[in-house]
Amino acid sequence: MSIANTLVPARRDTRALLIKWIVGLLVPVAVFTFVWSGEAIINNALLSLLGTGNVALGISLVVQLAIFILIFYATVITLAGYLVAADSGQRGMIELWIDILVFVVVPLLLVISLGLIIGFALCAVVWPLYFLVRRRVRQALHYTPPPPLQNLRILDAEQRADLMSRAIMGGFWFSIALAVVWLIADLIFYVSGALPTILLISAVIRTLILPVAGYFLGRLAGVIALRRTIAQKNGGNGESDTDRAGRRISKRRQLEELSTTRKREEARDLVPNDLPLRSTGAQRFYLILIVAFVLFYPVIDPFLFGFGTDGRLAGYGDAGYYVILALGLNIVVGFAGLLDLGYVAFFAIGSYAWGIIGSTQLTNILSLPPINQHLLSGLFWPMIIGAALIAAFFGVLLGLPTLRLRGDYLAIVTLGFGEIVPIVFLELDKYTNGPNGIVGVYAPAFPGTNWLSATPYYYLILALIALTIFANIRLRDSRLGRAWIAIREDEIAAASSGINLRNTKLMAFGAGAFFSGFAGAYHAAKLGLVSPDNFSVGDSIIYLAMVVIGGIGSIPGVIVGALAVYSINQFLLAQLDSLAADPSNPLFAIHNAIAHVFPGFTFGNIRNLIFGVLLVVIMIFRPEGLIPSARRRRELHAGADEQAEVGALDVVPGAPGFESEVRI
Amino acid sequence: MTLFLQELVVGITTGAIYALIALGYTMVYGIIELINFAHGDIFMISTFVCITIFAAFGITSSSSAPTGLALVGVLLVTLLGTMLICAVLGVVIERVAYRPLRNAPRLAPLISAIGVSLILEDVGKLWKGINFVSFPQIFPEITYYIGPVYITSVNILVIVVALVLMVALQWLVTRTRTGRAMRAVAQDREAAALMGVNVNRIIAITFFIGAALAGAAGLIYGLQFGSTIFVLGFTLGLFAFTAAVLGGIGNLVGAMLGGVLIGVIEALASLIPDSVLPHGGAAWHEAVIFVVLILILVFRPSGLLGQRTPEKV
Repeated sequence: MSIANTLVPARRDTRALLIKWIVGLLVPVAVFTFVWSGEAIINNALLSLLGTGNVALGISLVVQLAIFILIFYATVITLAGYLVAADSGQRGMIELWIDILVFVVVPLLLVISLGLIIGFALCAVVWPLYFLVRRRVRQALHYTPPPPLQNLRILDAEQRADLMSRAIMGGFWFSIALAVVWLIADLIFYVSGALPTILLISAVIRTLILPVAGYFLGRLAGVIALRRTIAQKNGGNGESDTDRAGRRISKRRQLEELSTTRKREEARDLVPNDLPLRSTGAQRFYLILIVAFVLFYPVIDPFLFGFGTDGRLAGYGDAGYYVILALGLNIVVGFAGLLDLGYVAFFAIGSYAWGIIGSTQLTNILSLPPINQHLLSGLFWPMIIGAALIAAFFGVLLGLPTLRLRGDYLAIVTLGFGEIVPIVFLELDKYTNGPNGIVGVYAPAFPGTNWLSATPYYYLILALIALTIFANIRLRDSRLGRAWIAIREDEIAAASSGINLRNTKLMAFGAGAFFSGFAGAYHAAKLGLVSPDNFSVGDSIIYLAMVVIGGIGSIPGVIVGALAVYSINQFLLAQLDSLAADPSNPLFAIHNAIAHVFPGFTFGNIRNLIFGVLLVVIMIFRPEGLIPSARRRRELHAGADEQAEVGALDVVPGAPGFESEVRI
Repeated sequence: MTLFLQELVVGITTGAIYALIALGYTMVYGIIELINFAHGDIFMISTFVCITIFAAFGITSSSSAPTGLALVGVLLVTLLGTMLICAVLGVVIERVAYRPLRNAPRLAPLISAIGVSLILEDVGKLWKGINFVSFPQIFPEITYYIGPVYITSVNILVIVVALVLMVALQWLVTRTRTGRAMRAVAQDREAAALMGVNVNRIIAITFFIGAALAGAAGLIYGLQFGSTIFVLGFTLGLFAFTAAVLGGIGNLVGAMLGGVLIGVIEALASLIPDSVLPHGGAAWHEAVIFVVLILILVFRPSGLLGQRTPEKV
């Protein structure tokens, strides 16, 4: 039997790999399934399908839940296969298990017991502590982990086949382990009476299906892993393709050969790899998990956190417009390197754009009869682009006088602009109602949705974020984006290379402001009012903090930065204050001790202090931010690699021996 | 015409305060090309320091003010004490937040400066709360009439203190060894270091002097306006920076001139009638100053007295 042969690990190191990853992945999956809600989601969905449970979920809910569950478990099983195949086996088993424990299981448990935000906030305390302890322990043991793979390993056909069989084994055995654990857990639940008899049937079916699914998902993982390997060339000699006379080499390939640093970075992502969990291959799987989670969040939230879904969704919707603002500001600050301290102005302009049009304000100003509300609500969709365009127009307008200025002048002009725009809205009360703001701004309308609940807003902001991220990535990689980055690095060199400084900078201002218009229109529609109080110049600094903390110029970094800053700003400090009000809590004493010295102290009161310290500390110790972009990290830490690079480039590209020199 | 002259007096008085703050911006910018966003907040802290020192003398807004020699003594001690405390604060900020970033990309110290500004703002908030704090009016207010225009003794005090400090600074920069070293570092840091100038020390001294001037500005601001608040540093910092740009950044005389001009423009802006701008010019004075800033930057980015310098490659 050929299948049986492929499923039994022949070698001892393969067996070790299997155990390493199956245990490593099974623990967090089991925590999610049994301690949290995986099991609850499945059982509830099944029960309401069968019509026997006391919870009857609508059919669309059940379908959504089923899709989520399928995506989740399929991705995890494939990931198991991929990791078994992609691991070079250099790093130890225990080390990996500790890492997974600290970075996956502990956050899961904290989030389960304390809620999303406090849970992650505690993680932010736990993780640095862990790094500290790990460094100490390693020093004490005189242990240095082997450095990540530095060379490009070329695999022959046999090794590739081995990789494939390892992936299949990984998927298969992981599924078996999952099925067995699940069956045992279900039996325990059944005996204790928590599981209805009818679900035992599904448990049996599941136990039978899982290994088969595991086999095929493992195959899929193998295919994915193989795409990240370097195959041997047809000629049989992998090193001969550059210096073989008369053969054309593509431009791209030549360029790739030039950068040793880039090579080294890519080597870290190749299969096999010492740190497969951190390779870009595995990151694809995380992305699928995160997208599935975010997309189906409104339906799974009740299972995860219980009652109060609507309130939480509203909060996440607000976090979403921070993400959009951070991504927009990232274009100006991160890509083009223009320090914009008045970004809140464009946000305000976007808000007022929809606020004035999407309410009775405009018709009142023009003394016209009011327009039908349904019509206006439908107008939201074109107006969201309209608001963005208006904001972009003002972005370009602000950019014009500042073009000739150096970065620091720009900062002060934008700061002034951010200060002035709210004043203008405040004082032009004929159009904006001044300090009272515009009330009764209409919500959007969309067939079949109820805009009184938070769910449609959640999906609206999700769609806007997706659009913004997509546009950001495409912009970054476009000719224009590269021009921005060139300007950021050296304006004069960029101009000498033929970049039109004026247009490029104006485009950065316009594009950055455009996205804040999205956020503004969303904000006005969701809140139902626009008030000048919502736009203080201090907010611009908060937006800047999101970009800086996350990582200047890095799209995932900026998203994480925005979420972190939003959580600190809106939830964490308020939560700390409410905890400190409880005399039984240890925070109570701390709060009182500080309040004794500074009367009027609350955690909410020191938010700027916290962000200020974060800004200074990050600038000094980690200027590339929490999740830096690869390019930025390379720029900021160029010194260490420079020597090797210079040495490598002493050899003329294309000359004999060049490639062996480049392959460090 | 009377109104115009009257606003001119007000403008010159506030302008003198702006000028003192602008000097700190312009000196720091001249020497390390950094907009020290924290400078306005140092000024805000200095007003609080003044109140605290007054309180140490037993003077609050409700108590009776000392007279005669006692008054002069209290004012002098407060002035020097505030200047010293702020100067030390400035040096500490430079040491902690800017010096580690001396060779970092341009954006880094700027963001660090914003961070320090946020920190100081919240320190002010924790220290004195979120409301306006009244500043003891210990200097007797006597009104003198010159024709129809009046000027108070406080106005005169403000202008005199500002003038004395500016003259002292001018002397320090142009006539002393330290001043020469400062100018050398501003021109070319590396060359100055090669000539034996201790660059880090000179930069620290610059921050010391700039912050001390902000400290002095804090006292006379309090005497002139009678109240202070923790967000004061932001607006006044913006005005003072505009003044520095107007005069030509890096140029000391320019900063003084720019400060007075901005004060006068602000005062005159309040004469704009309601028919031109809704709610009158006073509500828009920040916008007016911002427009001035934009106009200068568009038409004469080097400022009134500054020289056009090509960007260093």
